[in-house]
Amino acid sequence: MSSSDPTQSEYVTLVSGDGFEFIIPRSAACVSGTIRRMLDPSSKFSEALSGRCVFENLSGVVLEKVCEYFCYNDKNKNQTNVPDMDIPPELCLELLMAADYLDT
Amino acid sequence: MAMRARQKIRAPRKGLGAATGVDAFESNWKALSSSLKRIHTKNASELSFEQLYRDSYNIVRYQRGDELYERTKQLEKEWLCEEVQKRVVGGISSSLLLANEVVDIQDQAVERRAAGERFLMVLKEAWEDHQLCMKMFTDVLMYMDPRKVSIYAAAMALFRDHVLRSPIRSDATTTAGDVLKSTVLFMIQLERSGHMIDRALIRHCIYMLEGLYETQAEEESSKLYLTSFEPEFLETSTAFYKAEGKRLLEMADAAVFCIAALDRITEEKERCLYTLSHLSEHKIKEVLDNELLRNNLAEVINLEGTGVRAMLDNDRLDILGKIYSLNARVDTKKAHLTAAVQKRVVEMGKEIHTASVAIAQAPAPLKPNGAEAGQKKDKEKEKPANQLTTSAIKWVNDILLLKQKFDNIWQQSFQSDQVMQTAITASFSDFINSTPRSSEFLSLFFDENLKKGIKGKTEVEVDSLLDNGITLLRYVKDKDLFEAYYKKHLSRRLLMKRSVSMDAERQMISKMKMEVGNQFTQRLEAMFKDMTVSEDLTSSYKQYIDRQGDPDAKRIDLDINVLTSTMWPMEIMSSTRDGQVELPCIFPREIETAKHSFEKFYLSKHSGRKLSWQPSMGTADIRATFQRSNGKTQRHELNVSTYALIILLLFNDVPTGESLTFEEIQARTRIPDNDLIRNLQSLAVAPKTRVLKKEPMSKDVKPTDKFFFNNEFQSPFMKVRIGVVSGGANKVESQDQRKETEKKMNDERGASIEAAVVRIMKQRKKLIHSNLISEVLSQLSARFVPDVNMVKRRIESLIDREYLERVAEDPPTYGYVA
Repeated sequence: MSSSDPTQSEYVTLVSGDGFEFIIPRSAACVSGTIRRMLDPSSKFSEALSGRCVFENLSGVVLEKVCEYFCYNDKNKNQTNVPDMDIPPELCLELLMAADYLDT
Repeated sequence: MAMRARQKIRAPRKGLGAATGVDAFESNWKALSSSLKRIHTKNASELSFEQLYRDSYNIVRYQRGDELYERTKQLEKEWLCEEVQKRVVGGISSSLLLANEVVDIQDQAVERRAAGERFLMVLKEAWEDHQLCMKMFTDVLMYMDPRKVSIYAAAMALFRDHVLRSPIRSDATTTAGDVLKSTVLFMIQLERSGHMIDRALIRHCIYMLEGLYETQAEEESSKLYLTSFEPEFLETSTAFYKAEGKRLLEMADAAVFCIAALDRITEEKERCLYTLSHLSEHKIKEVLDNELLRNNLAEVINLEGTGVRAMLDNDRLDILGKIYSLNARVDTKKAHLTAAVQKRVVEMGKEIHTASVAIAQAPAPLKPNGAEAGQKKDKEKEKPANQLTTSAIKWVNDILLLKQKFDNIWQQSFQSDQVMQTAITASFSDFINSTPRSSEFLSLFFDENLKKGIKGKTEVEVDSLLDNGITLLRYVKDKDLFEAYYKKHLSRRLLMKRSVSMDAERQMISKMKMEVGNQFTQRLEAMFKDMTVSEDLTSSYKQYIDRQGDPDAKRIDLDINVLTSTMWPMEIMSSTRDGQVELPCIFPREIETAKHSFEKFYLSKHSGRKLSWQPSMGTADIRATFQRSNGKTQRHELNVSTYALIILLLFNDVPTGESLTFEEIQARTRIPDNDLIRNLQSLAVAPKTRVLKKEPMSKDVKPTDKFFFNNEFQSPFMKVRIGVVSGGANKVESQDQRKETEKKMNDERGASIEAAVVRIMKQRKKLIHSNLISEVLSQLSARFVPDVNMVKRRIESLIDREYLERVAEDPPTYGYVA
């Protein structure tokens, strides 16, 4: 999915601590303040150069839900009366922590 | 609450990253600080943002945020002091330290400029690096508690204190900031004297000053740019423009000044946009306005030879436009320019006036004593009235040209500015009203044009011609005086059928109506109405005569104009002169019959009216037979005035070769002296129309002169028109006539004032003196400007006649007596 110039590619790869990879649109991922700063081309961190973000402290299950939210958010941008997203109760605390971490 | 099977919520692991559960501050900080240093050295690409972020996240999670903040600040401070400051100071070369001394631009400019650019470049790079690094720092340390002062702002303050504000050498007080300031000012000075400079570079450094704040709260007003750079910039600019203004004034060319000033203004504006900050734009504008314009503009406008006066004279519309926009910048009223323009308008008006007087006097040098200026008044009286009339018309034409010129200037150069228009209008009105005869001249102008001027012109041209005249009328304050003259001239035009086009006359009236109001033209319209009614009357009279079947071949064709006496000018209607009632002149038999016949006809239609005959206004066509001495007869048709007709008819009864003396003629006709003399002059003295012979032959007519019928009368034409000497045409009045008109005017004004007073008092019942006066003035201002003393006298007279009474003394108040 990655093109020759990763700083401008349309998709980015998010990797969980236990090795799951999620490829989502850059615009969706940048809903998160942390990821947006991480990918900021002007600061030239390794993530920005490669377009690949590894989150050591997030499990695959949580990151999947996070990615789902990113896409959900991106899809329903600027709309009203959007149906709620389904969040399994057992994940909700961990998701809250992840949201704090990712500044979402 | 509905009970549902709940899924168990798992307690999350403690913290996301701190799987170890141990406070690893030191190790985290170690990793973090070394990474931050690598960011400084631009090696960020080897670093993982996520890792750094996780480190700072962990530190903050263990409540060590404050420590992290302080340590980061310390780290940054060390970096700035040790690395950045050295780099910046290294960029300062010795020539820049001469900063504040006056530098001979020619000598050291090149060197200093190069050094300055080098320094600015270094500073700019240091700043940009710092900015970028701090942004990355902030991003990485994002998880740190939002503090009162963000790490970014704190780092900026560090840059300000340790790079810009620290002395460049331990023994010097000069700081890098000072050098920056003087360098930028130097560059601006270079640009002002016409050199090219690296605007973008300076702009970057100014950005830096704009990005830094005096306080940590980062208020707009505490920008370093505003606190440390701008004041000095404005100061040097003030000095510069003071000198510049002086220099330009010394060149003593207003046009050059305007162009230079406008260039400077755009230049400074551009400088604010591209080199400095837009924050300074209005401030530098203020400096320019003050130093360059406000202090100098008055002098520029009045510069001898090139100032506004010369511009107006030479139609320098472009420069006038420039000077207008300059003056408009500093003064919404544009007082200086207005004053100069007004002065010039009045001057030019006076020139026109003197020119018209000069023309009126043109024939004066023919007489030996003509050089004496003091006798102007007496001579004016003697002057052929024609000359004066031409000069009056020229006067109006010149004023119209002047008006056109200024209208043009106003549109093209003054952007149709309201204030300017009022000013120009006011000065036109001033000088037009300063000429006491303006109303008469203006009326003569219309007269001339309606008689001859509009011949062969298109409707549009006529229209614009009349419009021009009307604009002048707008300036005339004493509109009633104008009305009197216009009425007089119009009556002559109507009665003597001298008007070229009745349409144009009507157009003129309707234009005046629009301009001055209904009341003003009422009488003029009534005059027109009389004319049309008279036409009908004449034709129905002719039918009446025809029906009578009078076979008399020598019947007189009678054209009658019946005039309503109040509507027509008093001179024409009055049968009194110098207070004495004059007996109506004696008409010859033939005329008398016609007169009676018409009177009978008219009174049968309108009973109870009184007709009085005005022979002075009429004309007649007569067929005259001349018995030549060789026995032949020659016939001519003569067009003469009614008086001349009466005189000539007398000679019908006089045998050939016999004469009548002046006194005899007078006794037999009772024609007023003046008219008789003038008619005899035109019949016996004027070389081409000598129908009578006079003895002795001289120019003047004396009571003892004898008159003979001239059978030898010669004329190449069958029809001969015998005009009355200085009677028929509308001319400038002589002094005496003028006085008379003024006297009549005053009487009429007195009546208008009284009418106004009574009208107001009737409505108000009781009014304080000053209020009454001001109301009277405002009511009458459309027609004329009443003299306050006259108003007072009229009020007195009304009190005497018991229309008003005094009801209180302090303040003086009047009451209306019903």
